[in-house]
Amino acid sequence: MKKFIGFVVSAFLLVGLMSTHAMADAAKGQKYYLKYMKEGAGMNGAKFATQHTQAEWKALFDGKGEKFVAEYSKKYPGLESFLKGDKFEKFMADIKDFCVEFASDSGNVPSC
Amino acid sequence: MKKFIAPLLVGAALTSAFGADESLKQEIEALKAQMAELKSAQAKVNVEALKNQLSEVKAHDAGDNIKWTVDFRTAYDYVDYKIQGSEKQDNGIWTNKLILGMASQPVDNLVFKGSLAAYKAFGQNNVANTSYFQNFDWYDSQKPNDSTIRLREAYFLYFGDLGDVHYSASFGRRPSVDGFLANLRNDNENPASPISHNINMEFDGASFKFDFDKVTGISGLYAKLCLGRGFSDTTGAYSMNMNTMGFNPAYINDENNPDMDLAGLIIQFFDNGQYKLMANYFIAKNMMDMNIHGIGGMYMTDPSNPFGSLTAMTPIYNFKDVGDMTGGALSLQVNGIGDGISDFLDDSIFFLSYAFSQTDPNGNAAKGMMGTTTPPYMALVDMPGMLGSTDKKFGSSIYTGVQVPGIMKGQRLGLEYNHGSKYWRSFTYGEDTLVGSKLAARGDAYEIYYIMPVVGKNLTAQLSYVYIDYDYTGSDTFFGWTGTPMDVDTTAGAVKTAQDIRLSLRYRY
Repeated sequence: MKKFIGFVVSAFLLVGLMSTHAMADAAKGQKYYLKYMKEGAGMNGAKFATQHTQAEWKALFDGKGEKFVAEYSKKYPGLESFLKGDKFEKFMADIKDFCVEFASDSGNVPSC
Repeated sequence: MKKFIAPLLVGAALTSAFGADESLKQEIEALKAQMAELKSAQAKVNVEALKNQLSEVKAHDAGDNIKWTVDFRTAYDYVDYKIQGSEKQDNGIWTNKLILGMASQPVDNLVFKGSLAAYKAFGQNNVANTSYFQNFDWYDSQKPNDSTIRLREAYFLYFGDLGDVHYSASFGRRPSVDGFLANLRNDNENPASPISHNINMEFDGASFKFDFDKVTGISGLYAKLCLGRGFSDTTGAYSMNMNTMGFNPAYINDENNPDMDLAGLIIQFFDNGQYKLMANYFIAKNMMDMNIHGIGGMYMTDPSNPFGSLTAMTPIYNFKDVGDMTGGALSLQVNGIGDGISDFLDDSIFFLSYAFSQTDPNGNAAKGMMGTTTPPYMALVDMPGMLGSTDKKFGSSIYTGVQVPGIMKGQRLGLEYNHGSKYWRSFTYGEDTLVGSKLAARGDAYEIYYIMPVVGKNLTAQLSYVYIDYDYTGSDTFFGWTGTPMDVDTTAGAVKTAQDIRLSLRYRY
């Protein structure tokens, strides 16, 4: 049995070597939205994300998200300091993933 | 000189004007060409064909109102037990677990959610002949069995706004498995409804949630009232009346089993994405235990004497209401330790939770089995009270853990610990641990797990190890005599320690 468990654990490690790199994370994006953007936007994340289609979000976040920063700094002045700060640049990929995941045409059904 | 310069200026102006005119003409020609191209392209588009295509798509999707998701896991579990007075037992079990998620939303304020699940051991098994409670409704889709697809969740949500208070009302089979905190070890992004420290089981009922964050300005504040029934007292259809030798009316009271009900309040005090503080308090009525009112015999062939026979004993039982129970939990999760200290801490999660339970026996005595020294070496005796006591008993548990980034991006390492006291009783029958709920343990439980994305989040691998060191028996059982805590070091046959190593591959989309 010990040999078999050793084999199983080795297989697990082998799988780890085959793994592809993880991309941005919508769940993390949701967390960052809640932490840094919800108050400024005045709405929950699900509602925020449905403001655009997936294609529109992708276009807004293109490059370094200049279009997103410009539109949403103007739309929600409370977000401006975050959007123009270092943290947004750092977390942008996750926030983009979150917006795309729950976009108006994503097909996601809200839980509550 | 002036006579010379003037004609030159006029000439230059005329030349410029002619040049501009020429440029304008060229632009007009270019535009004309573009328009012609567009007209030509438009003419090529077969609008009728597009309309037909759209109609076909609409017709195809017309009754297709459910969006499906797939969550499929293949796992190998190695379980190992140390037993007081006996040799240790171990086994290796391969399982497949399928959860088909369903969702639909006909209008903005109405949602249906559900899931169907099958959790099976590889191949055929003998579970039906060895377990009395394998298909119990509280964990129907959480313990490996056969390939039967069972209803795991099915509920609708109706929501709206009362001024600044957003509300939702929901009825159905609840999302009550793998809730807050258990979602970390189960690698689920979104936890189900309850705090999994003390509630992690399947049941049917209703919930009413009210968001107070806008009214109070406290981020994430909400209250949710939950109502549920854990056992329905009914005979079903075509039950036999032995006095009249006919059938009873359908779905009357059984009068042998209690309706078991639960009312609970979940409050999320705060959630700003980093700090989340939740609590629950519940009152559970008519808790039950096995009431063995007879021993059935089944004739079997004795392999050593094929022409003789022996009798296998099997308990004949119903359930008896032994009292009520209250309980609660207070749980804190910190998702990101500090703020910008380091990427590692930003991406680390810590949690700490406290839970308690309090019994309130009603004096009923369920009949239980007790070993004797003379044939037939067992007797049915009255076992009054809850958890083996006619007094009210208080139990408590602490649960803590961390989840930190792994070696490579996207990988996660988790460590967890919990301790339960002598009379601790949780409702965690649906916890996804093959050796039994670690959070129900009257003793100490440790867990370490490692999660790896293989193909992003769509295919993940997980290796986990759970070790439970029991102090007392009766950790994951019913509420009467079967839950009696007995010292595992002095009780023959008691499980002293349990271990579970699980390797799994999971597909989600």
